[in-house]
Amino acid sequence: MLSAYDLVFYFLAVFALFSAFGVVTSASPIYSAFFLVLTMMDIACLFVMLGAFFIAGVQLIVYAGAVVVLFVMVLMLFNLHQETEAFSKGTLSGMAKLGATGLLCGILATTLFNFASRAKSMAADISPEESTEKLAKLLFSDYVFGFEAISILILVVAVGAVALSQLKGGSHAKS
Amino acid sequence: MPNLSPIAGVGLGHYLILAAIIFCIGIIGVLLRKNIIVIMMSVELMLNAVNLTFVSLGHFNGSAAGQISVFFIMTIAAAEAAVGLALVVLIFKKYGEVSIKLFERLKG
Repeated sequence: MLSAYDLVFYFLAVFALFSAFGVVTSASPIYSAFFLVLTMMDIACLFVMLGAFFIAGVQLIVYAGAVVVLFVMVLMLFNLHQETEAFSKGTLSGMAKLGATGLLCGILATTLFNFASRAKSMAADISPEESTEKLAKLLFSDYVFGFEAISILILVVAVGAVALSQLKGGSHAKS
Repeated sequence: MPNLSPIAGVGLGHYLILAAIIFCIGIIGVLLRKNIIVIMMSVELMLNAVNLTFVSLGHFNGSAAGQISVFFIMTIAAAEAAVGLALVVLIFKKYGEVSIKLFERLKG
């Protein structure tokens, strides 16, 4: 018998596939961004189902909030309402691309299938506080070097974005 | 073989296969679209699928290390989006179009 958990999972899975498909096939980029927000929210719901509550919140705030808003703002800078050729040309090469992706999907699915059959699954039921506490303790003990490295990365990226925008033709070019 | 029938209940295999399919949809987007912004959105889709893999593996192994990886991936994805969109703005200012074929002119 299907439990409520299973029903919610299947609903979210179908919705995720639908909206991911929408991102790729929408002719207008703004609809792609809209479907991308839907996909992110759906995946955040899946994170909640997997007990990763803090990650779900970060997913909503950083991805569905900041990153997608960045995309939409860049889209609004441009005048893109006439997109006549959304997909790259060539029926044959398009078919080849689809076939190659299908093959990769098959390889991935069979590998994961075999892997999942061997992995022992012992899903523990943990509370939100507990999971977030575990995450914080790991992040600031074992992974503190990576955490600091990320901060340097963000500094470099900020400098790089400013430098790019000041190049000739950038949005803040020195004339 | 893991039992994927609906009666057995949702397990690790279900999550992993969902993530694989979303990843492949992202690949199709990267390969088939011409608009750079849509290509970057497809890349974000692929990163999200990988995040789902990490979180589900961590959950079903009773470890929080998967969530740490997701944390780092999210930060790097945001940084990648910032730099990539700065490049897209440059391309658009120069050529008035955001097609992927214009990236070949960036040399030098």
